[in-house]
Amino acid sequence: MLAVEQIKGDEYMVEHDPGAHTVSFKGTIRLQTSDEYLPIMQLLQAAHASAVGQRLSLDFRQLQFLNSSGISTVSKFVISARKQDTLQLNVLGNRDIYWQQKSLGNLQKLWPKVQIEII
Amino acid sequence: MIDLQQYGAWQDMAGVTARSYQRMTLNTDDLAQFWRRCSLSSDFWSRYSALFVPVTGPPSQLSRAALESVLAYLLNELFENCAKFGGGPLGSVCYQAWIQADSMTFQLTNQIELVQQAPFIHFIRELLENDPDELYFRRLEENAEVNAKGSGLGYLTLIKDYGIRFGFRFSAISDQSVAVEVQAHVSMKEL
Repeated sequence: MLAVEQIKGDEYMVEHDPGAHTVSFKGTIRLQTSDEYLPIMQLLQAAHASAVGQRLSLDFRQLQFLNSSGISTVSKFVISARKQDTLQLNVLGNRDIYWQQKSLGNLQKLWPKVQIEII
Repeated sequence: MIDLQQYGAWQDMAGVTARSYQRMTLNTDDLAQFWRRCSLSSDFWSRYSALFVPVTGPPSQLSRAALESVLAYLLNELFENCAKFGGGPLGSVCYQAWIQADSMTFQLTNQIELVQQAPFIHFIRELLENDPDELYFRRLEENAEVNAKGSGLGYLTLIKDYGIRFGFRFSAISDQSVAVEVQAHVSMKEL
């Protein structure tokens, strides 16, 4: 069985489940710089590498807050996935979390093939 | 003569009758030392301010939870900017808010070094004179290539996704230091 990888902070957790091809974000992520977001970016890239030819889901349903540096990091990842164009990217959001209703759709504008489901 | 320059939706709040007025002063260094102080301050004031609206109002109005979420993003961005870009000998951050019947105005005042003023004004002009949607995606594509500090994505998200209007005012303090006031006008109406 493939091992689940986790990044944990004071108020957040990002988890890659390679079996389910899912990266889940939980809590509140408001890191200071793109350098501090680097471990999360690397986890996303590793998840991408292990899901080539398949489907990768980014699950934000339990993420209460993400600051602009975080939105920038996720957007950068979507742009890099678009350039490689080697998998299907799905984004899961929570309609009870207002920023997700308002801003997750921007990821689909970066790459129209991204499938967004706000439930 | 006082050297004042203002941009965007700057409003003189001196004569405004507010339902509630809030004010808090912090040190820039404190915010920069423990980054979580930005988040703590913004969460406190967003919850405090959102209590002025009903849990659920008419459909045309933001619910309390939605408003709290907007304010938490807005105030966190503004406190983070003060911690990131504040400079000069004074090193203070002043938060003020005016709560009115159908809108809220938040104002953060801090200081920057004189050399930071021209690039900041250039940045503001670009923000105010371009289509926010087009600029947002252009910036993201540019950022994918280079890591830029202060890409303006926070402001652009707030303008584009939440309809927040910004005003900016600069006033010289000394020949090295400039006070910057950033105003954010938040409508309680659902976009």
